[in-house]
Amino acid sequence: MSLLRFTAADLVKAPSGRDARRRRADRFMRGIMFVTAAIAVVPLIGLILYIITNGLPFLTSQLIVNSPLDIEPGISNAIIGSLQLTIASIILAAPVGIAGGVYLNEFASPRVSSAGELLIDVMLGTPSIIAGLFAFLVVVPALGFSGYAAIVALSVLMIPIVMRTTQEVIRLVPAGVREASLALGIPVWKTTIFVTCRTAASGLLTGVVLAVSRGLGETAPLLLTAKGTNDTEILNFGSTMNAMPIVIYRYSSSPDSLLIGQAWATALVLLVIALTLNVLVRFRTVNNRVA
Amino acid sequence: MAEEKGKKMKRSEANTVGSTNASKTASPAARPAGAAAKASEGSLNLQNLEVFYDKFRAVNNVSLNIEPKKVTALIGPSGCGKSTLLRALNRMHETIPNATVKGTITLDGIDVYGPLVDPVRVRRVIGMVFQKPNPFPTMSIFGNVASGLRLAGASSKGEIAGIVEESLKKAALWNEVKDKLNEPGTSLSGGQQQRLCIARAIAVRPEVILMDEPCSALDPIATLKIEELIRELRTEYTIVIVTHNMQQASRVSDSTAFFSMGEDRGGYLVESGLTPQIFTAPTQQLTEDYVAGRFG
Repeated sequence: MSLLRFTAADLVKAPSGRDARRRRADRFMRGIMFVTAAIAVVPLIGLILYIITNGLPFLTSQLIVNSPLDIEPGISNAIIGSLQLTIASIILAAPVGIAGGVYLNEFASPRVSSAGELLIDVMLGTPSIIAGLFAFLVVVPALGFSGYAAIVALSVLMIPIVMRTTQEVIRLVPAGVREASLALGIPVWKTTIFVTCRTAASGLLTGVVLAVSRGLGETAPLLLTAKGTNDTEILNFGSTMNAMPIVIYRYSSSPDSLLIGQAWATALVLLVIALTLNVLVRFRTVNNRVA
Repeated sequence: MAEEKGKKMKRSEANTVGSTNASKTASPAARPAGAAAKASEGSLNLQNLEVFYDKFRAVNNVSLNIEPKKVTALIGPSGCGKSTLLRALNRMHETIPNATVKGTITLDGIDVYGPLVDPVRVRRVIGMVFQKPNPFPTMSIFGNVASGLRLAGASSKGEIAGIVEESLKKAALWNEVKDKLNEPGTSLSGGQQQRLCIARAIAVRPEVILMDEPCSALDPIATLKIEELIRELRTEYTIVIVTHNMQQASRVSDSTAFFSMGEDRGGYLVESGLTPQIFTAPTQQLTEDYVAGRFG
C-alpha cells in the first residue's frame, strides 16, 4: 500500500496507526474548542446567576414602586429616570446616527466617507467617561447637573453606534435594489428612504437597540451629569435625575446591607429590561424578515 | 379622468419647452388604461453617441435608429459596451460616478439629455429590466408592482389596484400570483421574479423598455416564457434587449445591432439591420464570424 494513494481494497483493511492518530487529533481539537467556548460562556452564566441569587431576595414590589424617600425605600425614581434619559437620548441619537450613516454610505465622496468612518471608529473607542467629561465641561456649567447634560453625554455615546450599524446594514442592501428603484423613475431621496432604508429596516432597528442597551448601562457619564437624586423627576430634565446605574454604584459601596442588596436587585432589574428589549426586537425582526 | 388630463397637459408642457416636435410625446403615465398607444411613439435615435467612464471611452461614435414598437437586439462580445449603451438610453449610467455622455439621444425627437430634462422623468418614459431579477425584498408581489406608482405619488388606491392587475396580466404572471399578492416578491421563482420585474416596469407605463440580458440568470423554460412575453409586449412598447445568446436575438428581435470592441477597448457599432439580414446575410465579415460563433 502506498502512503499517498489508496485503492478500493484499502478501504476495508484494518485501521492503521495513522488512522488512529488522526482520530485522536480530531477528538483533541474538538475538546479544545469546547473548553474555550465554555471559558467564554461560563463566567457569563455565573455572573447572571450571581446577580439573580443576590438580587432576587431584595426584589420586592415596593422596591420597584417606592421611591428612596418612602418609608420602605425603593428605586422607582431610578427606573423612571433611566427610562426617560435613555428614551430622550435615543430620540436625539437615532435620527442623527441613521441619517449620518446613510449619508456616509450613499452620498458622501470616498474621501469624506473614509474620514467619517475614522471619526466613528475614534468615537466608538472613546471611554464613556470622556463623553461624561465633555457634557460636564460644556453643558453642566450652563445648565448645572441635569438630565440635559446626561442626554448630551449619552447621545454622544449612542450616535456612533447607530451610525456604524446603519452603515453596515445599508452596505448589505444589494445595488440591484437601488437600481431597480431609480430605473422606475423614483427620485433618489425616495429611493433612499422607501427602498434602501426600508430594505435595511430590521438592521437599523438593531443598531438603535444596541445603542439603547449601551445607554441603559452607562454609569460614569451619568455620575458627572445627572448626578443622582432621591427625588422623582418626571420630564424635568433641568434638574438632577436618578438612574439605575447610579443607584448600583452608590448603593454597592454603602455599608448598609439593605442598600447593598438593593444594588443587586437594581442590577437584576436593569438586566431584565435590557434582555426584554433585545428579545422583543429579535422577535420582531425575525417575524418581519422577508426571505 | 380629469386628473389624468391635467397630468397629461403638465407633462407635455414640460416636454414642449424648446422643441417643436413635442406633440408626439403624450405622457405615458397619463395614458388611460388599455388605450392603444400611437404607433410612432417610442422611437429612439442615437447620433454619434459616446459614453465615457472618466477618460475611458466605453462606447465609440454610435449612430443608430431604434424603431418604435419593435424589438431591437444589441449583440456582441463581452465588454463591447452594449450594457453601457443601454444604460445611457435612460440615463441610468449617471448613477455611476464619473460616467459621461457625448452625442445625442432623442426619444420621439426630444433630446433626453436636453438642459430642461430631468433624468428621473426620462426613466419613467424609458423603463428598465435588469440581468438579475431584483424585486424589492421587503415588498409584497402587489407592493412591488405598485411601487413605481406609489412612490411617484399621484394615483389613487383603486387606480393602483387596477394598474397592478393589468400589469401582472401583461407580464403573464397574473394567473400564477393572483391568490398570493401579499406574499413577498422574493418568494417567487427566478423566472417569476423576472416577470414581476417586467410587470413593475410596465406599471409606470413607459414607452420604451430596456432589457439588460434579462434571461441570463434563468433556466431554459423560464427563458422561453420571457421570450414569449417580449414578443407580446412589442405591440405596445419599444423594446431594446442586450443579449449574449444569439439564438435568443434571432428568436425575439426584429432588428439587430452588432457591436465589437476596438483596439482602444472602446465598443463600436459594426452594423445594424433587420435581424434575418444580420444573421443570414451580414455585410461585414466580423458580423458573419460572430454570428457563426467563430469568436466572442
